[in-house]
Amino acid sequence: MSWIKVCKTSEVPENSLKKIWAAGGVPILVAHYKGGFRALPPVCPHMEEPLEESGVIAGCVMTCTKHLWAWDLKTLEMQGETEKPLKTYETKIEGDDLMAFVEQELLYEFEDEDDMDDDSFFNS
Amino acid sequence: MTITVQTKSGEFKFETDEEGTETLLFAGLGAGLTLPYECATGTCGTCRARVMSGDVEMAWPEAPGASRLSRGKGDVLLCQSHAKGDCLLRVPAEVIAGDAAAAPRRLSGRIEGMRKLTADVVDFEIALDSAMDFAAGQFMVVTSSAVTGGRSYSMVNYTPETDRIRFVVKRKPDGGFSNWLFEGAADGSEVSLFGPLGKATFRPGEDGDLVCITGGSGIAGIMSILDHATQDGHFKSNSGWLYFGVRTLADAFYVEELAELVEKSGGALQVILALSDEVASAPTHPEHPSIRLEEGFVHEVAARAMGEISGQLNDRTIGFVAGPPPMVDGAIRVLLSEAKLPPGRIRYDKFS
Repeated sequence: MSWIKVCKTSEVPENSLKKIWAAGGVPILVAHYKGGFRALPPVCPHMEEPLEESGVIAGCVMTCTKHLWAWDLKTLEMQGETEKPLKTYETKIEGDDLMAFVEQELLYEFEDEDDMDDDSFFNS
Repeated sequence: MTITVQTKSGEFKFETDEEGTETLLFAGLGAGLTLPYECATGTCGTCRARVMSGDVEMAWPEAPGASRLSRGKGDVLLCQSHAKGDCLLRVPAEVIAGDAAAAPRRLSGRIEGMRKLTADVVDFEIALDSAMDFAAGQFMVVTSSAVTGGRSYSMVNYTPETDRIRFVVKRKPDGGFSNWLFEGAADGSEVSLFGPLGKATFRPGEDGDLVCITGGSGIAGIMSILDHATQDGHFKSNSGWLYFGVRTLADAFYVEELAELVEKSGGALQVILALSDEVASAPTHPEHPSIRLEEGFVHEVAARAMGEISGQLNDRTIGFVAGPPPMVDGAIRVLLSEAKLPPGRIRYDKFS
């Protein structure tokens, strides 16, 4: 895959989140924060909450209301007690269109990433 | 029995009783380890661990919090698990070994002074067998030989080193524990308690306006927080807002106590009762005019008010939220998007 059109920038007002089924059946969460857009997988990396419903954007910070995991969408820095980074698709704006670079669907590895059978996990 | 626990921050050992009656979570917390937990009663799934060796039994395998566990890999909820012998566990979290003397512990006590506050709310005291220190906003897990399973209740009062704590309980249609309390035979009964637990606390000396949003029996921990803040002189230099949701005026309780707190604060604390199922017949409470009345669900009432209030809040403002999950999620949304609080300044207690 490559650059695909996700939506019109006007479809997602500032301080809001919208889940869009992009070309190829890839779900993309568009986050419009103060000063920009992010294209993300649609779930919270903590416990798979659907961020379109559980997420809140205020200024540059997106927070999942379920357990207050939060990220600065501009710098992608984790806020407070957040333990996992966000995955993001590269974006650009062409005219009125928000474009995302999608090679393959980005997924969080809820099971394997912190597989407790892996000894290196406890030495990290 | 010796429990060895491997964590992201190293390996620790603690002992549990030979009969394995204490849960692994409480045995570990009691030894001073900061094991991860939130509800401590099987609902949230935060205290996940993997049994690497040894025999561990889960008392309530169908616990809601167990639904996401990799059971085939030996994963358990520490709050529901009992050791049958020495065992080795892995906990995917940073854990530190704190001061065991200040750790939560098992206590026993007796239910006294049961009072019916409304048609479906009671409060009562527990006379503890020894004094305990707790932070305002913390809770205890209470068990009785008369009912299966433990229930979490937040302390209503705030008193340092006390052997008397107060709980408030709302009757739930299928709540075994609350039904037992309402049937009348509970007054005078012996109960077992573990605690204090919970991090949604008021920290003395912490400066900042307080915005509290709660509904029903969620007021318990908030009463303790407001009580401690008042004793601390917090409202001499900070403002406070409490949004307390009930269905109708007849369902409201602790109104007199709240009016006293408003008076002691010299008006720096404002209390708003949000009535979800009734038209507010007046702008203020008929007997306590310092308490305002509004209509709507509590997070909606708070959202409407935050437009005006957010500009007055100081930059150290702390938000406290307590109640059932949909109310807590709605209230957190209000504090983030309307009150403009950063997520790190919001503390919540979600019960399910």
